[in-house]
Amino acid sequence: MRRAWLAAATVLAAALVTGTALTAAVSLSGGFDRAAERADLPDLIVRFDEEERADVERRIGALPNVAARAYRTELTRVPMAAGRGSTRRGSLQIVDPGRRGYEIVDGRDVGTADDEVVLEAGVAREWGVEVGGELLLGGEPPRRVVGLSRSPDNVAFPLARAARAYIALESVPERFRPFLGTNMALAWLSDPSRQDVTLTQARAVSFGLEDLRFVTRAGVQVLIGQAAGIVVALLVAFSVVALGTAGVMLGASARSEVARRLPALGVERAVGFSRARIVAGQARRAALVAAPAAALGLGIGALAMRGPSERLLDALNEVGPGLGLLWWLLGAWVAIVALVGAAAAWPAWRATNAPVAALLRGGELATGGRPPRRLWRRSAGGFTALGARLATARRGRWLATVAVLAAASATLVLLLALASLLTALRDDPGSVGKRYALTANLGEEAVPDIRRVDGVADAAPRWAVEASAAYALGQPLRLVAFPQRAARFETPPLAEGRRRRATTEAEVGTGLADALGLRPGSTLAVALPSGIEARFRVSGVVRSLEHEGRAAYVASEVLEDSGVLGAPVVAVALEGGADRARIGRELAALGAPPSDATAATTRNRAFLGILASVLRVVALTVALVCLAVLVQALVLTARERRPTIALLRTTGADRPVLGRLLAGACLVVLVPAAALGLALEWIVLGPAVSSLAAGYAGLSLAPGPGHVALVVGGLAVLGAAAVAWVASRLVREPVVTGLREEA
Amino acid sequence: VTRLAALLLAAALLAAGCGIDEKGDELAGSTREATIADADGDGALDRGPAERLVDRTELAPRGRATREVLRFGQLADVHVRDEESPARVPFLDRLGPPVTSTFRPQEALSPQVLTAAIRTLNAERPDAVLLTGDLLDSAQRNELDQLLAVLRGGPVDPSSGTEGYRGVQSAANPDGQFYRPDLDAPRHRGLLGRAQREYFSPGLRAPWFPALGNHDVLVQGELPPSDATDAIATGDRALLTFDPVLEDLLQDLPRGGRGGTPDLRDVPPEAIEDLLAGGIPGRTTEVPPDPRRRHLRGAEPADLLREAANLADAPGGPRLDYAADLAPDVRLIVLDTANRDGGARGVVGPEQVRFLRRELARAGDRSIVVVDHHGLDRSDGGEAARELLAGDDRVVAELTGDTHRNEIRPVQTESGGYWQITTGSLADWPQQGRMLRLVTGPDGERAIETWMVDHAGGLDAEDLAGAARELAFLDAQGGRPNGFAGGRRDRNARLWLPPLRSGG
Repeated sequence: MRRAWLAAATVLAAALVTGTALTAAVSLSGGFDRAAERADLPDLIVRFDEEERADVERRIGALPNVAARAYRTELTRVPMAAGRGSTRRGSLQIVDPGRRGYEIVDGRDVGTADDEVVLEAGVAREWGVEVGGELLLGGEPPRRVVGLSRSPDNVAFPLARAARAYIALESVPERFRPFLGTNMALAWLSDPSRQDVTLTQARAVSFGLEDLRFVTRAGVQVLIGQAAGIVVALLVAFSVVALGTAGVMLGASARSEVARRLPALGVERAVGFSRARIVAGQARRAALVAAPAAALGLGIGALAMRGPSERLLDALNEVGPGLGLLWWLLGAWVAIVALVGAAAAWPAWRATNAPVAALLRGGELATGGRPPRRLWRRSAGGFTALGARLATARRGRWLATVAVLAAASATLVLLLALASLLTALRDDPGSVGKRYALTANLGEEAVPDIRRVDGVADAAPRWAVEASAAYALGQPLRLVAFPQRAARFETPPLAEGRRRRATTEAEVGTGLADALGLRPGSTLAVALPSGIEARFRVSGVVRSLEHEGRAAYVASEVLEDSGVLGAPVVAVALEGGADRARIGRELAALGAPPSDATAATTRNRAFLGILASVLRVVALTVALVCLAVLVQALVLTARERRPTIALLRTTGADRPVLGRLLAGACLVVLVPAAALGLALEWIVLGPAVSSLAAGYAGLSLAPGPGHVALVVGGLAVLGAAAVAWVASRLVREPVVTGLREEA
Repeated sequence: VTRLAALLLAAALLAAGCGIDEKGDELAGSTREATIADADGDGALDRGPAERLVDRTELAPRGRATREVLRFGQLADVHVRDEESPARVPFLDRLGPPVTSTFRPQEALSPQVLTAAIRTLNAERPDAVLLTGDLLDSAQRNELDQLLAVLRGGPVDPSSGTEGYRGVQSAANPDGQFYRPDLDAPRHRGLLGRAQREYFSPGLRAPWFPALGNHDVLVQGELPPSDATDAIATGDRALLTFDPVLEDLLQDLPRGGRGGTPDLRDVPPEAIEDLLAGGIPGRTTEVPPDPRRRHLRGAEPADLLREAANLADAPGGPRLDYAADLAPDVRLIVLDTANRDGGARGVVGPEQVRFLRRELARAGDRSIVVVDHHGLDRSDGGEAARELLAGDDRVVAELTGDTHRNEIRPVQTESGGYWQITTGSLADWPQQGRMLRLVTGPDGERAIETWMVDHAGGLDAEDLAGAARELAFLDAQGGRPNGFAGGRRDRNARLWLPPLRSGG
């Protein structure tokens, strides 16, 4: 019975990992699509400087493949205040009648009354506003919040800087309406797969629209990915790998259980049971043990991960799977029970093929005539060595335990490497090829003054231009432009080709190269917001994380006449050991305090807090698995060697001696497991997660020395805890019980 | 065995001859059998249901008319175009109305579209075909040569300049406002190269009767040809991209109430003339010169068309006004409404009114079909001509073009009335021709049955005419958004006519 409990504990631990990983993977991977579906997100969003509605309607109404269209007027930098929050960067969206493109998550949509407003759910959450509350818009009388909205066309406030609110065009006083143009058109396509055809025509009728930008659904997803796409992708990839690890754990555990029961199987064969019956019985028993444990583990894992996942999704304006997750969990439960059953049935089927006599002699002898090689030499001496010998005597179970622990420790190392990578992506611009430490919102003309600041190595203006591929307008891309002399300011690792030398050349991110089929020597044609098409020769493909790899690094000189180079930020490279605080003060004196150069993820504190809680849940789960496996291994060893241990106790072995014995049994499992785990992470899991999450970026998830020390130390602590607990149980057990078993 | 083999061979040959073969001469395009439409609104064309004739009884009640008096076709606004000509202003197209016709995504395929239209018209076996003006796009000699080559049948050379394509749609042109088939969606690689290759036309297998439109005698349908325009047309410099210098010129043009894009409807023709008078503005590109691009002057277009259409009895001179017998019982009167002084609007002079009166008188008791490009109601001086038609109950129809839109309107007159039938252009969606049948009944009933005919271009856009139709459909400044296909009553209809008062 106790063994059944231990087997159930292993299944529970694996199911816990599965539940956690599955909840994270399912929740995070489809969040955008679910939100887009529920919000009825348009297939195409066109932004431009304000124009007359009739003029825009003439253009949009003429496009092919458009099933529906709607218009909005976005007013930016509108002062807003509600509840406990306020901002001067409000985005007020005046929506025309028609389809909205946002989901009402609470309350109702805006009507024609002039005192109604719909507030973005993220703003309401942050400011503590509920339906029925009031919102102040500029100097206008307060409006009643009649509903809360969510739309994945941007991340949620405060991850997005602007707080969004919506009012109906009909609610705008009639005297103002004639002066109100529109600056945003939304289009829903009959066949989204033909959006390029629609976009080609949209471009053809776009002349005269200033600052024109086409954003497709794919483009919106990329924009949202700017905030956390890489993080979500890493978590999802981690979860997929963790699921695989859990499968290995389950298989190994079930196989170990069969190995332990081999003599019993021999007895069953001896009394005439058929192989099929024995195997079926073995599978049934394993499944009966696994079913409740798996359900419990999956449930706990899902519950533990649900909260952090939902908060993460909320921050991104995305939607969780809801009850859809239950189907995934049900599928996982069936898969776990089936896996455990199969893992028990297959070795049983193979084992029962052996002669009955061999089976009766025990599992370790059943698989070969050669006596088992001693894995722990007698010369090692002492109780520790004895413990090791006792643990390795059951070779099958020992290997299974090592395998499970190796998988778990590999997962732990992966988790640590992931955390380090995320930190680097947040804090270390150099990790994405940025050779500058600060940015300042100062004009290009401030560059000479900045260069003269003591401690500043160099400074250069940096432009980021959102554009589209000229021949595939649905493919968004970002042009990162520096003056040609400052081309080295941003150099993501080169994957193919060479660095750009001429102003007509571009280095393109791998994501962009893959999307457009670009290689060194190809032509990159870019449709700029001004309507001009710029062409570059691709000199190299780089592993860039900027804009999810859909970026091109070009010389700003080429764009000078294109009308797209607005005010740049100034990138500031510092000398080694420079006093950042002093430099910051001096730059502030020039007109704008600098910011630390960002790498690839957001610095938003709340978002990072959510992320940390996600990682904590995963880490805790994996640590619990390790502890459960270790305890199981020690308890089984102690139970099987109960007479030996009883004999030792009769000769005076006290708790410290038993501790040494168990420590030996623990070490012989932990040491190879840790080594194997590190190798597994380095060779298999790290590259797998990196490739799954962002194959375009070549992220490194190799374990560092710190990670190794932490995992080895953590395993040692867990081992010590397991040893202490099992030893205390052994001491409490009467000696005579073990001796009676010997007799 | 030999006889069996011969039978099988004959069957195989018949089967091959009966299929829809692009190289064959006769292809079904009648919309009474099937239409071409985008039923699901996804921008892709497909076969649609047939359109039956709608009885229109605004002029007379429905009767019984079964005897066919005349079966004839109409092709309007063919716009055979030298799309590589330097004397064009495709860069103005982006400004929107009313200059949206200066560039079309399918503009390099005009001869192929005409050829495909002829194939399906031939299959309808008309007694005659009326070409109702704007046969050319910019009054160039090589455009007329291409038109006549297609109509006569035989090899057609659609290229100009040197071999290959050198125009605004070239992949080398970084001006994304032009559709470039090699690059932009829907992508048709090599389309422009194929469009320049010589091909074979089956020719129009019926007598044809041309009318002149403004594009047949004026540069771009607006400017009278001159030495200056000829120099540009036959020269070696072309403006292939929208030059920033034009933006400065456009700054001075009238704009909408809130400072929108310029509205060229209020731009005097002189402004365009001034634009070209000083040569091509902006940064030009060198192109292969071609003397065949010279503009037709004076009586040249009328003379060449009279000769090609065998109109030996037609009066000479620069205007192509004439009358001819379409059938023993039907007389055709063609009026030339193109204004030689420039401008797109039609004009009917007093001399032409006298010509019309004379020809009406000579028609005897025959039914009369009047053809003019612009429509008399849309032409300066056309009112006098309309009054003449209003008093004559033998007039059954006025066939026009110019608007690129299918439209059928009853013209109520004191004598009962006639139908003004306007047919869309082959240059724009839906790229259809029109078939007409004049039928009579035993009790003096008269009606015109008319239906649209799609050209023979395939739906898979593999052939050039098919690609042209797809592009014409997608064009956001073309016939689809502008409703050029008209309503059902403007396409396939049975137009009842009042009985002749004279009882003829």
